[in-house]
Amino acid sequence: MTDEQLVEASLQGSAAAFDDIVGRYQEKLLRFLLTRSACRADAEDAVQDTFINAYRYLASFDSRWRFSTWIYRIAIRNAARQRRPEWHDSDVELVDDSDPLKECLAHSEQENIWLAAKRLLSDDAYDAMWLRYIEDLSVKEISSALDKSASWTKVTLLRGRRRLSAELRSNTPAAERRESYG
Amino acid sequence: MDEFEKRLKRDADAIQAEVSPELRDRIDASIRGAKPVRPVTPAAEPSPVNPWWASSLTGLAAAVIVIVLVNWNRPEPVTVPAEPVASVTVPADPDPVAHPLPPMLDIRTADFTSPLEDELVRLQSDLEKARESVKKDLDFTF
Repeated sequence: MTDEQLVEASLQGSAAAFDDIVGRYQEKLLRFLLTRSACRADAEDAVQDTFINAYRYLASFDSRWRFSTWIYRIAIRNAARQRRPEWHDSDVELVDDSDPLKECLAHSEQENIWLAAKRLLSDDAYDAMWLRYIEDLSVKEISSALDKSASWTKVTLLRGRRRLSAELRSNTPAAERRESYG
Repeated sequence: MDEFEKRLKRDADAIQAEVSPELRDRIDASIRGAKPVRPVTPAAEPSPVNPWWASSLTGLAAAVIVIVLVNWNRPEPVTVPAEPVASVTVPADPDPVAHPLPPMLDIRTADFTSPLEDELVRLQSDLEKARESVKKDLDFTF
């Protein structure tokens, strides 16, 4: 069944259909949110909130769009909400101040390109790159998910690709640089 | 897919994002406790009385009132008493031959200018010549 069919079944009252949606997206969303949150606990909270919001407002989902566009839009909003100062209780300090993305990466000789992306790109540009190259969303869908224009999305993707390609070339030994990174 | 895109996907897969059973239980529990929000559709309000007829009647009444007011203070049209036809008729003249022209006409003698008088003289001369020519022809014929 497609995502949209599962949504339709969920709206008809099928709890199993929404369970399938959670099963399909829980790991994808957690992977994405781990790169966007301050710590793993925040990423897991954001995943939970994303599914709760999706379930509550499922009836407002516009079937003309892909479901992935819609749920990533919710996830991005939750991640942005976590970055606001009021999100964390001022009396509670973060125990772990390290980047959860670094913790989730297997040790490798090469720097993970998404760590470089997080360092080099803005949040919106990072989201656009992730949605384009990992989730295979179209420019139009990315524009909708990020609430940006198509022109902004195209330019941002092009610039992001150039910056990351340049970063990859600079970190790649000369012997391996024969392969083009675009 | 070029090398750049392969690298992006490979590095994304390298991010360990297994969902723990505890997280899945939390998600399931929170969804069970959540209540779907149905989109609020504005309740259909009872349609107000269709004002088309009201506006038409109002307009008609206003038009009638305006017509009445305009005509209320309107002065009576001045009617000119008709003059008897007999008073303006020309009395019949018992002898039209004796008075060929209406007596009220202003008759003036025509003043011929000298060219016209000369022309008249020439015409009379031509007429005289023609008469003599005809007389001569008659004498010659008979």
